[in-house]
Amino acid sequence: MDNNEKKLSEYIDKLNAEKMPKEHDEPTDSPELDELMDTVRKVRSLREPDLPEVDYPKKLARVVGRQLWQKPSNRKRKWAWLAGTAAISAVAALVLLVNFALYPGRTDIVYAMEQAYKEVRAYHGILSIVETNLKGEETLQSMREVWADNEGRYYVKELEGFQKGLITVNNGEKKWQVCLDEGQVYVFSAFPDPYRFTLELGNEINDAKNATQIKTIGKDVVAGRKATILEVLPKGGESYQIWIDEETNLPLQRQRAMVNAIQYRVTYTSIEFSDNIPGELLTYDLPQGFEEIDKNSEQLVNNIEEAAEIAGFTPKVPENLPKGYVRDSIAVTDGMKAIKLSYTSKDKKSRVIILQEKATDEFKPASTSVLGKVGSNTAEIQSPVQESLGVLNGGGQYSGMADICSIRWQESGFEYAVIGDVTMDELVLFIESIALDPVQIPSGEEVASDKPQIEVAVDLEAEKNEQKSVDAGHSPWKLDPVYVAQVFVSLKISPEGIEGEYPVNYEDMKIIKNNGIDAIVEVSGDITTVRKVYLKRLIRQDSTGIWTVVGYDPA
Amino acid sequence: MLKEDTFKKAQDGDLKSVEEICSSTWEAVYRFIYYKVQNRQEAEDITQETYVKALSHLQKNSVKIEQYTGFLKTVALNILRDKWRKKKRRGTNVNIEAIDAEKTAIEDETEASAQRELIRNALDRLNEEQRMVVELRILKGYSVAETARIIKKKESTVRVLQYRALQTLASILKNND
Repeated sequence: MDNNEKKLSEYIDKLNAEKMPKEHDEPTDSPELDELMDTVRKVRSLREPDLPEVDYPKKLARVVGRQLWQKPSNRKRKWAWLAGTAAISAVAALVLLVNFALYPGRTDIVYAMEQAYKEVRAYHGILSIVETNLKGEETLQSMREVWADNEGRYYVKELEGFQKGLITVNNGEKKWQVCLDEGQVYVFSAFPDPYRFTLELGNEINDAKNATQIKTIGKDVVAGRKATILEVLPKGGESYQIWIDEETNLPLQRQRAMVNAIQYRVTYTSIEFSDNIPGELLTYDLPQGFEEIDKNSEQLVNNIEEAAEIAGFTPKVPENLPKGYVRDSIAVTDGMKAIKLSYTSKDKKSRVIILQEKATDEFKPASTSVLGKVGSNTAEIQSPVQESLGVLNGGGQYSGMADICSIRWQESGFEYAVIGDVTMDELVLFIESIALDPVQIPSGEEVASDKPQIEVAVDLEAEKNEQKSVDAGHSPWKLDPVYVAQVFVSLKISPEGIEGEYPVNYEDMKIIKNNGIDAIVEVSGDITTVRKVYLKRLIRQDSTGIWTVVGYDPA
Repeated sequence: MLKEDTFKKAQDGDLKSVEEICSSTWEAVYRFIYYKVQNRQEAEDITQETYVKALSHLQKNSVKIEQYTGFLKTVALNILRDKWRKKKRRGTNVNIEAIDAEKTAIEDETEASAQRELIRNALDRLNEEQRMVVELRILKGYSVAETARIIKKKESTVRVLQYRALQTLASILKNND
């Protein structure tokens, strides 16, 4: 009792000091003490809250803004391309062929940009970001100094604007942000890195390479340099314009379409090329008096034995590494439960991570993922990674980055994930280096053999319009087959429309097949007679394509 | 009053709009969170997490928001519930979309005001010494030593009194539930 009296008193002291008591994070071993602490909070609620300092709202906005920038924009994720199935590759090849026929100049322009970028080892530029409203009024949003090299390293300093003074660096080993006005340095893992500064040359050229359409629409002069204006229509989303320097064949400026009455234009007001980024800019050095805030929960270790000792199991290690790759690091992560093996290609342009931990929960694949097999086990295939479940959840921030794909599965009491900014074929090579059984990535024909008992009529024109609407950012749930099935089943129960909660829970829907083109969702519970819902990506067969119900099986 | 397109612009990454949203809504959100956690440090952290989660959620889902503050409070409530669940090691995540923002916010206000009334009544039912200790320690924020000096008792007696007072209050409040 004495001990509890003391703990309760300390709890009150902590609240009086306006600090978070440790009991808010860790459970106490006494239900009575929990109840008394709860009572303290209730009594205390009669007091007026202690409000933060006057500058709190400003600080809040700054920190929130920065964290939002840290998080990958879902907009990008939506437009990203789902690779990985033979059928989809065929569609992509067809699109390329059609583009080539329609826009014969396209490949030349992109090829010229690619070749020019191959020659670039590093560059230094000043970027301006200008916002234009409907009246044509322009406001300078920010000025930014950037250094970047062809190995993905960069140094970015905000010269003007909302985040003036903020420095973000990724030297390939770690990533950090120096907040001068807050006296803090945030440290993150170097990969995966959701931060991409706008108009990074390599990304810009990649986007152009993957575009659905690209055409020359005129000439202009930008920052005193002659440029060709290209209109780029990405896979999904609004078209935008890029200005290509006629002399260097590299992007100088980009202008997005006007969205919500606002348009952004990003320009290199100056750019010069060099052999490397100055070493001092890529060296981590905590300024005197600054606090380091480590957001990287990984612990690097020297060898597999150390990792095994910390995580409590011996990990599988690739027997034969795919050609051209070397091991980069070994770390223990996710509350020291998961082991993370990182590999890089010899040119350091690609990275692959193998994550593994003891399986604690039943395997549940992401609802938007394609389902394949590793041996006889279901595998979740994401390209790009859209949801981080299971071992992916604790291993870093993977979801939302257009160029990262993953395969996750469970086997003999362990959960594994292989993630990388590489092709699906390369990921499979890594899996085959640790798994005994072959990997199966489904093709478009497999599910087609499963026919619904009752077919649902589809209005293709209406679906085309729906796809356009989703491309414009509306109803993103149509990209999730489980959600589409939930709405379909709910409307079967309440044909007049759904008010409030859906009559069928999302949790009662289980995706049993999905090859990226066809999907089947199984429905449990006794509220509906629908047992299986059959869906198809009718308009576009990639991760930006909407799902449409084409049939169902009654009980 | 926030313009309708401010949220849209914030979703598109416009930092001025983020600032506008934060400065016009933070106090209601902060008070709501503080009411639950009763300390400034945690309330500030969860307020920040709320805005990051809410705006990220809006970036991912083109939701039309009619009750900005209600929506933010719902997100805050989800974070708090998630935190409490994790503490209890149940570890299930709460789906932001599963909760009706307007309903949650309205119910919470009504509930909070009724609960305050219950707590005041419960305090009245404590004996003089116990009520005094609770008022000094919890409502006025005095330390054990200061409270002991004011009521002319030993510090250990203050701790015993406050423990018993809270046991009595917990029991009264439980019977009222």
